[in-house]
Order: sequence, then structure tokens, then C-alpha cells
Amino acid sequence: MSLVSVQGLSVTFPSEKGPVAAVRNVSFDLKPGEILGIVGESGSGKSVTCRALLGLLPRRATIGGRMIYDGRDLSGPAEIQAVRGREISMIFQNPASHLDPLMTIGDHVAEPLRFHFGLSAAEARAEALKLLESVRIRDAASRMDAWPHQLSGGMKQRVLIASALACKPRLLLADEPTTALDVTVQAGILQLLRDLNRESGLTMALVSHDLGVIAEICDRVIVMRGGEVIESGPVRDVVTNPQHEYTRLLIGAQPGRLPQMAEPQEAPAGLVDLKDVAVHFPTRSGGGIVRAVDGVNLSVRKGECFGIVGESGSGKSTVARTIVRLITPTGGRVMFEGKSVADLSGADLTAYRRAVQMVFQSPFDSLNPRMTAQQTIAEPIWRHGLASKSAAMERALELMDMVELPRSFATRRPRALSGGQCQRVGIARALALSPRLLIADEVTSALDVTVQAQILRLLTRLRKEHDLTVIYISHDLTVVRKFCDRVAVFQGGRLVETGATADLFASPSTEYTRDLIAAAPDMDQAMAERA
Amino acid sequence: MTDLASTASVHPAAPRFRHGTIEAALGAALLLAWLIAAVGAGVFAPYDPNALDLVAMLAPPDGVHWFGTDHLGRDVFSRVIYGARIDIWMGFAGVIAPLVVGVTVGLIAGYFGGLTDTILMRILDITVAFPFFILVIAIVGVLGPGLVNYIIALALVAWVAYARLVRAEVLVVKRLEYVQAARALGFSDFVIILRHVLPNVLGSITIYAWTDAVMVILAGASLGFLGLGAQPPTAEWGVMIADGQPYVLQAWWICLFPGIAMVTLSLGFILVSDGLSRRLRVSS
Repeated sequence: MSLVSVQGLSVTFPSEKGPVAAVRNVSFDLKPGEILGIVGESGSGKSVTCRALLGLLPRRATIGGRMIYDGRDLSGPAEIQAVRGREISMIFQNPASHLDPLMTIGDHVAEPLRFHFGLSAAEARAEALKLLESVRIRDAASRMDAWPHQLSGGMKQRVLIASALACKPRLLLADEPTTALDVTVQAGILQLLRDLNRESGLTMALVSHDLGVIAEICDRVIVMRGGEVIESGPVRDVVTNPQHEYTRLLIGAQPGRLPQMAEPQEAPAGLVDLKDVAVHFPTRSGGGIVRAVDGVNLSVRKGECFGIVGESGSGKSTVARTIVRLITPTGGRVMFEGKSVADLSGADLTAYRRAVQMVFQSPFDSLNPRMTAQQTIAEPIWRHGLASKSAAMERALELMDMVELPRSFATRRPRALSGGQCQRVGIARALALSPRLLIADEVTSALDVTVQAQILRLLTRLRKEHDLTVIYISHDLTVVRKFCDRVAVFQGGRLVETGATADLFASPSTEYTRDLIAAAPDMDQAMAERA
Repeated sequence: MTDLASTASVHPAAPRFRHGTIEAALGAALLLAWLIAAVGAGVFAPYDPNALDLVAMLAPPDGVHWFGTDHLGRDVFSRVIYGARIDIWMGFAGVIAPLVVGVTVGLIAGYFGGLTDTILMRILDITVAFPFFILVIAIVGVLGPGLVNYIIALALVAWVAYARLVRAEVLVVKRLEYVQAARALGFSDFVIILRHVLPNVLGSITIYAWTDAVMVILAGASLGFLGLGAQPPTAEWGVMIADGQPYVLQAWWICLFPGIAMVTLSLGFILVSDGLSRRLRVSS
């Protein structure tokens, strides 16, 4: 008998254009002790489905269908309230925003115990300590009185899991629990979830956009798109033998399945050289300094695709901004074709600005919301006096062709474009000045995998056609492995290791790189390991 | 190219009634009515606003003088209509002058930061430390009574609210990647501030400006009442209320009608502000 049975669930939101169906006729069962993965891209309805189970949707949502938990019909708010927190718990994507900054860690975990079981403060505290230990928080006793802001992202997620597990629920809903975390931290959380499932038979529904994550710990998976379930089955069957065309597309777009796009060449001349570059900031409180980047030496060669990987806070973006001269280094020098970038001024600086361009991480924030796609792409051309305004607008259309953006989108503003389309506009704008070096800073990390695959293909094509040198910054090792000729690994503001991509992945020379490679979720690898 | 195909219809057709449309329309209608009255005062007003008629002093409202007459026999209706010219002009000029000063200061302080920011913000702190209305009165007192001097005083005192608002927004916007992108593209600071920062911080300023207009009109009328604003015999609502004050027990109409005029004009500004802010909130 199944623990949860969802039958014909539908969720509709009112909008100015009339009702919008976020979830349509979704049915699935959860057997006790299994981990069900719900995978889909943005807007697929996976999170809404998960929240409907716990009655966490906004009031204006209309919910249809039946949800049965352990023989009980969860059709009304009272029925849901009876199981919420006690039998069904949930953890969320952003642990930081789901912890009350004015409550200590211990109180967070003790609160549900006092509320649901009426334990005394001392009893609840003792129980909370055990829970924190069970989610493998080191030195839990001394962390009990810590505040959320004193913990790292991974620790916060562990606290959230502990408080979700406080009442020994039978079902845990996890909505993208590791998406906001670094890969090494993600690996730890996934391991914890797997252990909880094995040791205490906790049933789980794991919502994720990442098939790699799903493949690591789920038994069965349902694939959602546009509010509907298009395929479901055991993870192995779905991955090895997908039935639906979209599932095949999704699997083919996994970074691990992408074709090898890098083509290492024989060492040509250097284009950008960083010599002992350091960027230090004073800390907020004054006093100390933050070493965002420290003692970095590296050389990017003409025509290559150079990857910079690292976790959050590793200084990889700061390096990029230093090369573009958005940040002035506090020590060392950035050399471009043998000239020190910091010394450039006047016409030389303008020439440098043209030669080095950057594409940014956030598809929407990197475009001025008040300008159309065409205006955005044309602006650098006429501002640099390379063409008249009308000729620049004409040229912008050609650039749109180049990045495979239909000309009919020319008059659209960012809000009327999708993430992938915005990113194409950003790339076209960067190419408008015919740069020789293109810096791409996490350009695909906010995009769905299928869109990511398209953008990577586009960048590869442009790189060949325009003889571009590319610096590709990413936290995703699997993408870098497919896309870059050489890689530099950053950690805590320092360059840990650098080398040809194939060599570095085959035989990493530092432990950190080894951990990073091992932690990167990869669908095929996960399946192989579970076999 | 699925990202192109699947999202081809993201652009919604404009719905018939967006949030705040009704408020904004009502407010705009009130303002438009007053604007027409002000522009066409020569046509609508039955009498010269300053013509004395000592025979018909303090006449109550009737068919001849719709709003009655004041202590000098001047037609209150005509004076209310002509007064709209002064008060509307005052509302707009009294907003635009401090707005220009405040937005400029806020943009410079927020964008450049550092020492520039510190100096400008200390000047702002000093200005804020004085009670607003007393400072305005003091400046008008030094410069001499009159509407133009009132506007100058506002430009010197009321800019602080705009500067704070703009600075706070600039601090957010300048971190956004499109401003970073503009810098990476080699645009000058002037171009970036004017083309990429300013248009994106104007929204909240616009909303505040409409409410500020109400404050400007009411404060201006108070100054008129104190004898520091528009000077008699100018038909300005504050001055009219001041003139009618000694007679308020016998001739309530002298004060009431300019008072109602002031309320309806203010309401117009407030409704527009309200409507705009709702629309902005919904769209963003």
C-alpha cells in the first residue's frame, strides 16, 4: 500500500489573462521507504505539486483532484494541518531565508517538538541536540546557541533538515534542497538524505531540476513539463530508455552527455597574463582585510577556451572583473598582449574595452529593462563612434542573426524575453565591438539544462567563426570539462591548480580538485556507481 | 531552439483594467478639470477677480455671485478659478525645483560613493536637522515674501527626500549587471548615469513627486496665510483663506470655497500617485 497517493491533481492560478494551469492532472504514488524524484525545468510545475501536498500554496490557487495520505483524504486545510510538520515535513531551496534570524539553532529544532508534542524546554533541548547530531552537525552541543548567520549554507540546510525531522515525520518533501549550495556541500547533504532514508526508512519526494542529483539518490522519477507528468518509472529505466521525446532531450542536454567541444591546440602566444594579482578589500567593520584574490599567476593563450572553476567565494568572478578592469587589483599586474592594463588610458583604454568583453551571469539583470533588444545591442556600436545610430541599429539585426535570435524579437524588452533569449542578447552586445577576448561569467548557471546546451553550442560556434579567446567561469565542472581547453581551479581566492582539461580531470594533483571532481553530480556516473 | 518557440507568447496583451487604473484615471480627471479651469479662467470666471464692488460686500452665495463675495466685494467664484493658475503653477514648480536638485545629488552620491557621497550626505544631514517648515519660512523671510522665493526655498530644503530616495535606488541599480556591462563596454560615467541608471530609478521618484505636490500646495497656502507667499491682491487660495479669516463667522463662504478647491486639487495629486504606485508594484 502506498503512503501517498495523488490522483488527478490540478492547480490553477488566476491571472489578468484568465486562469493559468500550473499543474494539470498529475497522479503518482509514493511507497513507504522510497525516494521519488520529481524532475523538470523552470515552470514545469514540480515545486507547485510539492507545495500542494503540504497546503502551502497561496489562497488564490484553485486545487483539484485528490491527495490521500495513509488512507486519509487531504482535501481540506484542517486535514492538511493535522499532518503538516508531524507526519509530512518539507525542506526548501534557500536555507538562509527559511531560518528565523532571531532564533538560535537549538530553538529552531526544539520548537516543533514543543508545539506538536508539548515537551518541556529542557526535554526539547535534549532532543534537539540528538537531532542535530543525527544530521551530522559537528560539535552540535556548542552550536545549539549559535545564530543562523553564524553558519555556512550547508550547515543551515542541515539545521533545516533537523527541524523538519524533529517530529519523526514519515514523509519528507525536499524542494531543490541543494541547488543553492556548492557541489562539495551538495554531495554531503545528498549523502545525509540517503542515509536517513536507509536508516529510518524515511520516505522522500525530491524535487530537482538536476537529473544528476536525482540519479544519485532516487529510486523512481517522474518527469514533468508544462504542469504535466510526461514520463515516470524507475530512475534506471527512465535514464537508459526514455520513452518521451522531451525526456530524451533533457537527458541529452545533461552536461555529461554533451559532445566534447574543446579542441586543445599547440601552445600559441599568450594573450592575457596575470602576474601575482591580488584584490583585497577592507572588512565591513574596518580593521582587517578580505583577500578576495591573492597571489594569482596565470596565462590565457590566444584562441583557447580557458575555464576558471571554483565554489562560491573562491574569487573566480573577482578575477574576471579584474581582467575587464571593473575592479582595480590592489597588487600585481594584469597584462594584455604584453601591456599592463592598469596603465592604459585614453585611446588605449578605449581600444582595450573593445578588445575585451564580458557576458554576465543573470540573464535579466544584465540588460537595461528600459531598452529593447536591438537598442541594447546597437548602443556600444554608436557610442564608440563605429557607425551612425541608424547603421548601428542595422548591424544589431545582423548580430541577432549571429546569436540565432529571430529578428522579430528586436523590439522586445528583457521582460518579454526568456532567460536564454536574454543571454543571447547579452552575447550579441558583447560581440558588437568585435572583441578578441570574451569573458563568460557563469552565463548558463541561471538557465535550464536544455537552454544551457544551446548556449554552449552557440558559444562554441562563435568562438570558431570569430577566432575568439574565451575565459569561461563556472562552478560546474562537468560543463567546463566539455567546453574548455585548459582549466584553472580556484579556492578561497587562490589558484589551486591549472592545466590542460583532460590531464587535470584524469589526474588532479591536489586533494581539493579531487574532491571537487568527485562531488560534481553526473547522471551517468551516478547510475554506474549504483549498479 | 526550444527556448524561442516555447516562450513566443510571453508578451501579454494589455488587459483592459490594470490595478490602479481607476484611481489614476479619477485623479487625472480632477487634475485635468482644474487645469482647464486655470487655463480658461478668462472664459469661465464671470468677473474680474480683483474688481471691487463695495456695494456687494460679504454677499452670500446666490445666482449673481455663485460663491458669494468677500469683504471687498470681490467675486469668490472668479477668484477661486483664477487662484487655480497660481496654485497649480506652485504645485508643479515647487516639485520640479527640489526634484532636480535632489535627483542630481542622489545620482552623484550613490553612483560615485566614497568621499563625494560622504560630503553630500553630511550636507543632507545638516539640512534635515532643521525643522522643515521653519527653515522654509526663514529662507523666505531672508529673501523676501513671494512665490518665486518660496520655490527657491523649497529647492534648498525639500531636495533631501529626493536625494535619499534616489541614492538608495542607485546603490541597488549600480550593482546590477547591466550597469557593470555598460562600464565594461567603456561608456563614460555620464552616459551610464543618464542612460542606464536614471531611467531605472525614476519610478519611485515619480510617485513620491505627486504626493509631494500636495505638500507643496498646502505649505504654499500656509505661507500665503502667513503673508509670506503670494501677495495680496493676487487671487491665491491660501491668501483668500487668510483674507476671509476675520469674517469666518459671518461669511463662511470666503474661506470654504478656496478650501474645497485646495482639497480637490490635492486629492487629484494623491489619487494619481496612488494609482501609479499600484501599477508599478504590479508590473514589477
